[in-house]
Amino acid sequence: MSELKPILLVEDNPRDLELTLAALEKCQLANDVVVARDGAEALAFLSRRDPHTGKPIGLPAVVLLDLKLPKIDGLEVLERVKSDPETRQVPIVMLTASREESDLVRSYRLGVNAFVVKPVDFQEFFQAIRDLGAFWAILNEPPVGCARRRDWTPAGG
Amino acid sequence: MDASTPDLDACSREPIHIPGSIQPHGVLLALGGPERTVLYVSANAGAVLAVPAAEAPGRPLAAVAGPALAAIPAEILRAEPEAGAGAVQAGAVDTPAGAFQVIVHAAGPLTVVELERTPAGDEDRLDRLYPRVRSAIEELEGLTDPAAVAAVAARRVRGLTGFDRVLIYRFDADGNGTVVGEDGNGRLPSYLDLRFPASDIPAQARALYLLNRLRLIPDAGYAPVPLLAAPGPATAAPLDLSRSVLRSVSPVHVAYMRAMGTAASMSVSIVAGGRLWGLISCHHAEPRHVSFAVRTACDLLGQVLSVRIAAGEERAGAEARLRLGAVRARLITALAQADSFPGGLADRPDDLLALTGAEGAAVVAGEDCRLIGRTPPEETVRALAARLTAEDAEEERDGDGVFATAALPALWPEFAGCRDTAAGLLAVALPGLRAGRLLWFRPEVVRTVRWAGDPRKPVEAGAPGRPLGPRHSFAAWRETVRDRALPWAEAEREAAAELRRAVVGIVLRRAEELAALNAELRRSNRELEAFSYSVSHDLRAPFRHIVGFAELLREREAERLTDTGRRYLATIVDAANTAGTLVDNLLQFSQMGRSELAPVDVDMAALVAEVRATLAPEAAGRTVVWEVPALPVVRGDPVMLRMVWQNLLGNALKYTRTRDPARITVTRETADGEAVFCVRDNGVGFDQAYVGKLFGVFQRLHRVEEFEGVGIGLANVRRAVERHGGRTRAEGAPDRGAAFYFTLPAAALRS
Repeated sequence: MSELKPILLVEDNPRDLELTLAALEKCQLANDVVVARDGAEALAFLSRRDPHTGKPIGLPAVVLLDLKLPKIDGLEVLERVKSDPETRQVPIVMLTASREESDLVRSYRLGVNAFVVKPVDFQEFFQAIRDLGAFWAILNEPPVGCARRRDWTPAGG
Repeated sequence: MDASTPDLDACSREPIHIPGSIQPHGVLLALGGPERTVLYVSANAGAVLAVPAAEAPGRPLAAVAGPALAAIPAEILRAEPEAGAGAVQAGAVDTPAGAFQVIVHAAGPLTVVELERTPAGDEDRLDRLYPRVRSAIEELEGLTDPAAVAAVAARRVRGLTGFDRVLIYRFDADGNGTVVGEDGNGRLPSYLDLRFPASDIPAQARALYLLNRLRLIPDAGYAPVPLLAAPGPATAAPLDLSRSVLRSVSPVHVAYMRAMGTAASMSVSIVAGGRLWGLISCHHAEPRHVSFAVRTACDLLGQVLSVRIAAGEERAGAEARLRLGAVRARLITALAQADSFPGGLADRPDDLLALTGAEGAAVVAGEDCRLIGRTPPEETVRALAARLTAEDAEEERDGDGVFATAALPALWPEFAGCRDTAAGLLAVALPGLRAGRLLWFRPEVVRTVRWAGDPRKPVEAGAPGRPLGPRHSFAAWRETVRDRALPWAEAEREAAAELRRAVVGIVLRRAEELAALNAELRRSNRELEAFSYSVSHDLRAPFRHIVGFAELLREREAERLTDTGRRYLATIVDAANTAGTLVDNLLQFSQMGRSELAPVDVDMAALVAEVRATLAPEAAGRTVVWEVPALPVVRGDPVMLRMVWQNLLGNALKYTRTRDPARITVTRETADGEAVFCVRDNGVGFDQAYVGKLFGVFQRLHRVEEFEGVGIGLANVRRAVERHGGRTRAEGAPDRGAAFYFTLPAAALRS
């Protein structure tokens, strides 16, 4: 399974994090889920490079990026990833509690691949996450109850 | 000029200061050059000369002076009187021809020497007059009322001079005179309160009265004595007799005196503030001569009189200003508290009228026209305001922003018809968002004035060629002053100007307040946006967490719960979902008001089809008969229009839940150029009595157990439709279905 790219979930709110992980689990994705708790961690994960080739290593299949984040917020993470030729092709899905238009417009302008307003209704949320997974990740056979959360600590951290 | 119309101005053109003759009660010599050469001499001068008068011109005074003249100290005749000074009494001489007073003054480069006969039996000398003059002055000093001052002055002057009648005569702004004080012995008729038309004392005579304050005609029946002039350039111009005491008067004036039945007259100018305020006018039935000393005493009284009157008027003016100031203060207070200046001014009608002593007033501001007191009809007031605007009249006049006339019919004849309410007009322009003006009206003075003669016909229209003469009849007759109102006093004009300035101040302050309010509104709008963003972001999250974790609990721990526990859980999920929907709808509602329309071509048919597709789960398992006609492409915001259909079709589906089959009919027609869309159903309907509540926020007509919802959908529909320039409407009856209409303006229709 190591050839499967992970899903990078960037979420600071522990409750949202737990719910999103539960939804991803329900979707029975085979991908690992890497969690970053703020924008800086996310960028650190995405900027890892092979010391020999200088190429990025372990780029995720998709980044699920919360809009509001400590340190470096979601829009800035989006902007940096999309302006770096090495990471530009990584699909980014913006997750947000906000319906504010300006965020939406700015996200699209910055090259977001999808934008999901987190619905209140969990069933809808589950549906949305499942759709995302089906589209961006690779569906796998369900090892039931297998939590694939993989905590990741920045190098040297 | 046409002889059939008498030249009313002939009198006012007569050059009275250079008559070329003098009265016979004295002798005149005009001297010039170092030799004191006689340049002019009166034809009767032989009495004081050593040679006949005709031989004197051109010769030095010393060579022609008789013994009496020679006895006058030379320095008196040589002394150059100060330019501009009046006549100076240089002394008295006795000659074989009689006693003379010597009076000297300058006329340009010439020294004019007049020897006036001392009246027979005249004992008056200035020092003997002094006690009477002093007591007269003391009496006048104690008075302030102009009428009392005038009465005392008349009595005192008559006491000093012995004339049969003394009048105190006052000029108005037009030069008409009114007799304001009188004292007499009954030998001459009373003229008290009579008015004399301006032509009686024409403008150039009034100018002369300013220059030479004292005039005497001892005998109106006199024969003028011509002046003889020396040949040469020094006498090329006639001698200016402006300051002469012997100057011969106009034949018109002499005829006027005869017509008045007076043989002698004397007048003393009353000058106040450099302006000819009036005259002390003395008359006698027989010829009467008063000495120079008495005349000088009268002149002194005249000056005291003018000072007293000026002081009295100043005080009256100050009192009026004080009174008007209080009125103005009340008006300004009312204005400052009122929402608009027309309202504020109209709220205090009595003060508004009292401010200028008007009988009517109007406040005109745009469409607003308020009439107070006696005014012309509204259309006339509006026409007046328009005329004032067209002529920029308030600014054109004196620059203080006040327009004033006491004779509107003469100024603007088209308004003559309203003379009974507005013969006088005072107006100020008011600035501001709704520029307007304030008008005050005074009616035509239907006061009767006692005119000494008809002022419109100062001259008898005699036969052609007949010399002009003053009126023969002086019987007072009543004359109604036509087309004129009481003139606006200076204090009243100032009060209007002050009020205008106050309004300007208030308007400017209002504008500042409005600007501040605007800034405050913008700020609070921004705060509101920030607030709804925070609601959007922060309030949704906890609801989501409640629903999410409750769902997880149900999925993973359900078997450990009792049925009751599972029901509680379902309720928690349900309630939190409802709360989340509420927040979402509220945000949508606020966004509907704030966000910009993004109009594009929207295919209504496709939109309805899409919305129906999203509603399919609701319709599942039911029999729903849809009727949807061909729908047009319109210009509009696709998100908003989608929301409109979503709500209307969603409602139709929801409220037909109890129907089998449910019928939902969409219609579309054109009325008055508008597109009218309608969604009709056969559902539970509503009571038409509550139709007004339907489109309000959080208005529900059904219990939530019957039909779920938060009561904001139709409010959103109305907002979206109104943002497009359309309207919404509903019809219904309980259990008999409902119909919801919305319109889009013609501009939204695509052909």
